[in-house]
Amino acid sequence: MITENVQIINSLGLHARPAARLVKITSGYDCDVFITKDDMEVNAKSIMGVMMLAAEQDSVITVKCSGPDENECLKDIKELINNKFYEE
Amino acid sequence: MNRTLPVSQFIKHIQHVINLKTVSDNNYSNGRSIANSILNKPGLALTGYFKDFNSSSLQLLASTEISFINDQYEAKNTRDMKKICDFDIPAFIIQGRKKIDQRFIDDCALKKIPVFRTTKPFQKVYGEITSYLEDFFAPSTQVHGTLVDVYGTGLLIMGRSSIGKSEIALDLVERGHRLVADDVVTIQKKDENVLVGKSGGEYTPFMEIRGLGILNLKEIFGTRAIRVQKRVELVIQLEDWKKEIEYERLGLEDDSIKILDVELPRVKLPIFPGKNITVIAETIALNHHLKVYGYNAAAEFNKLLMKKMKRKEKLNKYLDKDYE
Repeated sequence: MITENVQIINSLGLHARPAARLVKITSGYDCDVFITKDDMEVNAKSIMGVMMLAAEQDSVITVKCSGPDENECLKDIKELINNKFYEE
Repeated sequence: MNRTLPVSQFIKHIQHVINLKTVSDNNYSNGRSIANSILNKPGLALTGYFKDFNSSSLQLLASTEISFINDQYEAKNTRDMKKICDFDIPAFIIQGRKKIDQRFIDDCALKKIPVFRTTKPFQKVYGEITSYLEDFFAPSTQVHGTLVDVYGTGLLIMGRSSIGKSEIALDLVERGHRLVADDVVTIQKKDENVLVGKSGGEYTPFMEIRGLGILNLKEIFGTRAIRVQKRVELVIQLEDWKKEIEYERLGLEDDSIKILDVELPRVKLPIFPGKNITVIAETIALNHHLKVYGYNAAAEFNKLLMKKMKRKEKLNKYLDKDYE
């Protein structure tokens, strides 16, 4: 299992479209992915869960991946977040 | 393929609507047909000017034309005017009570062009004939699918053969909705953005369910189970579930399909055993209602979410250096 803190940097935060992109990536991997923010932990393959986090700009989320392809998955998630979800 | 409308068929349909009487038709209408949906007023063609003349259209003679024709016969100046009868005109319709010179009718008979008369008002005649012709000549196509009226929304279920379209329709009918057409749906473009579907062979109540054979839904569920035609508003595309295909998760992006150049919203639905498509189909229809009325759940949800994030951001900034 690997865990890493990632900061949301896009100005609109983790709203519907970014959440959809995130879920699209995590759904492609076999490993379990969980995201934690402010004591709330959600399954990163569930779109409603991810949106429920309401992760605004500058907030920090904790991504936890566990499974055979956890490294690639985490790398992809970080890339998406750091590229502002390809929105801006 | 260009359809043509036999004059006799047209007369049969329209005569009781506008009280059409035969003036001269010695079997002339047999074998004559109308080539397009235009109801033409010959106008300048009567003067011998035939550029852009719609000779293969139905010709309507109203009071101006009748007066002109009568005057020409009176003045014995019919050489140009009579040329119109040399064209392959499907039929003349005289509108109004004004008497037309018998010689004109004789000249038409000579060329075997049938003449009819109606005394209904011009607008009524023009409207009824045009709407019948447009209806007949409207572009149409056939699609493989099942059309059901779900809560008043015309839902076209498409997908490969034996994926379960008829079963879903049966389920919907059982729940109180109405079948329009199964398997072959004839779709006609009635207006720029309006498609109307009906059963291909006008066999609305019949459907085949694998394992059961042919059923008549009208006999089983009563007359409420069917309807003759319905506007097609929404397409559900049934697909085999594939792990690698991405399905719509949000509903912010709208998919669509073009039928006869009309864009219809389309929902792609992956199916697998045990999934209750019927309830989903009903929900799709109701959600479409909401969208028509201007409500989009995904957009509303996103608005709420963004508001919440904005609020948190402000609060965090306020509390940032607040050490008391």
